Amino acid sequence: MTDMKHTDMEEINIATDVLVLGGGLTGIKAASEIAGSGYKVILVEKDAELGSQKGPESLIGLEEEYKGLQDLEDKIKTDSNVQILTHASLVSAAGVTGDFTARLSKGEEVIEHNVGAIVVATDFAAAALNEKYGLSPADNVLTQSRMDELLASEADKQKLANKTIAFLVGLGQEGNPLVLERVLRSVLALQEIDGCDVYIYTGDLKVASNGLERMYKESREKGAVYFKLTEKPEIADNGKTISFFDPVARRDIEISPDLIVVEEEMRADDLNEELAEILRINVGPLGFLQKDNVHFFPVRSNREGIFVAGSTREISGLPSAWTDVENIAVEVRDLLGDGKKSVAKNKAVVDEDKCVICLTCYRCCPHGAIYWGDKKAIISPLACQGCGICASECPMDAIQIGGFRDEDMTEEVKSGVASGNGTPRILAFCCQNSAFEAGEMADIFKMQLPEGLRMIKVPCAGKIDLDYILNAFVAGADGVMVMACHPGNCKSDKGNTFAQWRVNDAYRMLEEAGLEKDRLCFVGTASNMGSGFSSIVVNMEKRINELGLSPLK
Amino acid sequence: MSTKNKKVMVVGGGIAGLTAAWELSRFNINVELIEKTPFLGGYAIRYCCKATDECRQCGACTVEAMLKNVVDEPKIKVHLATEVEKINNNGRISVNLKKSSYQPDLATEGIVRGYSKNNTPLHVIVDKKKCEENPDAIPEGAVELDAMGFSGKLDVDAVILASGFQPFDAEQKGTYGYKKFPNVVTGMDLERIIRENVTVVRPSDGKTAQKIAFIQCVGSRDERLGNLWCSQVCCPYALRMAEIIKHKNADAEISVFYMDIQNVGKDYAGFYEKCKMDFRFVRNIPVDVFPMENDSLSMRYMNEEDGLCINEEFDLVVLSVGIMPGPDNSNLSDIFDVGLNEDGFFAGVDKLNSSSTLKDGVFLAGTVAGPKNIAASMAHAGQAASEVIKHLGVS
Ligand SMILES: Cc1cc2nc3c(=O)[nH]c(=O)nc-3n(C[C@H](O)[C@H](O)[C@H](O)COP(=O)(O)OP(=O)(O)OC[C@H]3O[C@@H](n4cnc5c(N)ncnc54)[C@H](O)[C@@H]3O)c2cc1C
Ligand code: SF4
Ligand code: SF4
Ligand code: SF4
Ligand code: SF4
Repeated sequence: MTDMKHTDMEEINIATDVLVLGGGLTGIKAASEIAGSGYKVILVEKDAELGSQKGPESLIGLEEEYKGLQDLEDKIKTDSNVQILTHASLVSAAGVTGDFTARLSKGEEVIEHNVGAIVVATDFAAAALNEKYGLSPADNVLTQSRMDELLASEADKQKLANKTIAFLVGLGQEGNPLVLERVLRSVLALQEIDGCDVYIYTGDLKVASNGLERMYKESREKGAVYFKLTEKPEIADNGKTISFFDPVARRDIEISPDLIVVEEEMRADDLNEELAEILRINVGPLGFLQKDNVHFFPVRSNREGIFVAGSTREISGLPSAWTDVENIAVEVRDLLGDGKKSVAKNKAVVDEDKCVICLTCYRCCPHGAIYWGDKKAIISPLACQGCGICASECPMDAIQIGGFRDEDMTEEVKSGVASGNGTPRILAFCCQNSAFEAGEMADIFKMQLPEGLRMIKVPCAGKIDLDYILNAFVAGADGVMVMACHPGNCKSDKGNTFAQWRVNDAYRMLEEAGLEKDRLCFVGTASNMGSGFSSIVVNMEKRINELGLSPLK
Repeated sequence: MSTKNKKVMVVGGGIAGLTAAWELSRFNINVELIEKTPFLGGYAIRYCCKATDECRQCGACTVEAMLKNVVDEPKIKVHLATEVEKINNNGRISVNLKKSSYQPDLATEGIVRGYSKNNTPLHVIVDKKKCEENPDAIPEGAVELDAMGFSGKLDVDAVILASGFQPFDAEQKGTYGYKKFPNVVTGMDLERIIRENVTVVRPSDGKTAQKIAFIQCVGSRDERLGNLWCSQVCCPYALRMAEIIKHKNADAEISVFYMDIQNVGKDYAGFYEKCKMDFRFVRNIPVDVFPMENDSLSMRYMNEEDGLCINEEFDLVVLSVGIMPGPDNSNLSDIFDVGLNEDGFFAGVDKLNSSSTLKDGVFLAGTVAGPKNIAASMAHAGQAASEVIKHLGVS
């Protein structure tokens, strides 16, 4: 096996200031934690004021904690390690991890800052779902945010006495625990007011968050009535009456509430898309800035040194935003240290003489690790994850990956197909994060494996060059397997996609060369799939046995 | 930044404890990782991959990766088959450790095997007599349980409790017949069946299961049992496993009996829509299960349309058991003088900081502090590590 260790190290100096984008509660907490670790923080907020002034929504019932939040804000305002820029926004961010140049605009002014890491802490936006229920804004139709506001004011609260109030939740959208939590908090607050009757029309109750089942039970014990429905009730007269047919009681149930409170959808911040483009980070489901990929959880983006917190990455309440921020504090500390980093020189190296500045590598690097120097592509050893996608895509073969240089790989292919003794020679290129682990597991657990199977470890399936596949056949392999992570599980986001494309290209070439397509396969696996690995490779051997040994031998 | 002489103890080597230990080791902090059983990894190291054509983000493979990080990290010292006996506060925290009282429930051939190739030792001899009958069957490198475990005293600067949870004991729900009827299994069993067999077979006869029922909320959200919490993981694992079953066997007929379906993954609405096309959802929790000839099961539940009782036949019934407080919580609570909450999980200082406790120097990570999935347990461990770093005054 090739030596994976990077022995050739060098020390580099990096910037240790940190940019925090978003001055909401999450951003404030991030600034405070990171400044507390001894780094200078630039906290950027687009509005005139920092977070805790912005609406008390979703903080009802968290009053105790909310007091602490005010202190936190006061503290960072006087912290000499925190520079606060309000009415400001990010214009561009050049460079890479440890050396970003952020340009910020504040009014007419443009401020430039050299930072080592960036934290994105945008808010979510609440949008009323009145239309989904066919309701128009009126005195008796409230959004959840409006209800939160009323409950936050003692005077308004009293106006709710002796009212019948209906909530609509989980029927206009799938919903989530935060939506339900807001409803439960206001239901419990209403039950403290004299003569309030509360009815909740609900789809699936999203109770999957600590404390919600208890709040649900408490509110029921205090008299709240929950109607659990699978479709919306009939709403007449813009919310003056609500009815539905109860199949068990076999009758219509009709209620005429004084007020009807409509759930809100929690959407990703409008800023996200623009920030993703400037920062070159991935946009995930529903416009949040993190793909649904376990390797990025909790707080990583696809780029080293750019972190995503709280509602930036998913719909999140304060407790999980706080958890995110503490994880970011740990990551930042580990990344920036004291500003001196020891990095491997040979992770991915561009040969200046071969590079024709075609931009291919810059475009395909999923980690945004490549930038432009004096007439050549430069790979940041700090940002690079060593996946090798660039090396396999470079049309000039100008990039080599430490521990996985092309000549080493060619050597491994050759020795892998050598010494055939009649059993089919199957070469499996295995991603070190998934298939290679699964293969070792199958071996150690003594599961069935073909005698002629040879695993070749690659840093990521994205490193598997079309040439490797073709060379394996030329060298006499009877079968070749490209074994990647399952789609959606690649540590480098799309290494497996590149590998799949190359396998498709190889299929065409095999066909032209008159070799059976079935001798090549592409599969997804995971590191814990020992038995899955075994059954996949055993099936492959069966298939090769049916085809016979390679005619190229 | 001096962390050289700092030492932290992590109690519990599940995904939360592993993550906490590894995060601390990144800062040159020495970690003593205490695990009661002979194997690291907790429950999550036993789970199957739930990918169909694509990854379903169950997180199981990240546990393998973290275990590998930990066993390769020299700053983490692992003590298997070891438990905490008592502590003394003398500036630092002085912890007395003893060999654990761990006993495996079933040990065929007197040997138990770890779950991951990264478990060392991989084989542990729990019944020497049984093994002596057939010494050739003893795998290379097997270690006797009696020879494992550490007793002695360690002085540390902080402790992270990460002793985890226990799955609901389905036998408590007697009417479902768990352990009486072979084809009634728990979610935990199904994880193992899929991990080992690639396809889902009935335990009674090894035949492919065609008609399968999942019963949700078994043990959770149950007023009669006083378990007033949603376990948060059983809707996701049940639907993900149901999807693999369907993926491997398009003819499988799957029904999900539920109260409320919880969200799965970041793109939950899309996933749920797919599930609704693939499975039948019945909003009712069944009453009981009876055995039939040919080992099939007859299940009784209420029809949502008319409120009448129905009996329906299934090949396999899966009980989606939830997350219960760990068996050692009250003992550990006494030893470390940290309170439990009303549900029996460890209590954090407040809603926003659930990994610090009221006891100076004692922190929490993972399901020890309430239901969490793998990703959330890891994030919680990161939070605990952050709090510990602050506590140690590392700057
Ligand atoms: C059936 C089922 C399926 C699941 N499937 C998924 C899934 O697909 N995806 C997902 O994200 N989550 C899933 N979960 C949740 C997942 O199991 C937990 O999130 C995870 O295991 C929590 O890790 P932990 O480290 O907190 O606890 P544990 O896994 O319980 O680990 C705790 C460790 O501490 C040790 N220990 C206990 N007491 C002591 C003591 N006194 N001294 C020393 N050591 C001790 C234990 O032996 C154990 O090794 C599932 C849960 C269940 C019940
Ligand atoms: S892909 Fe190759 S040739 Fe093109 S810029 Fe990158 S290193 Fe140079
Ligand atoms: S090896 Fe991967 S991470 Fe590194 S520069 Fe190439 S594509 Fe980017
Ligand atoms: S389904 Fe789970 S185990 Fe499989 S690849 Fe995805 S996260 Fe990993
Ligand atoms: S996750 Fe689903 S099955 Fe588990 S307790 Fe919550 S609602 Fe019930």
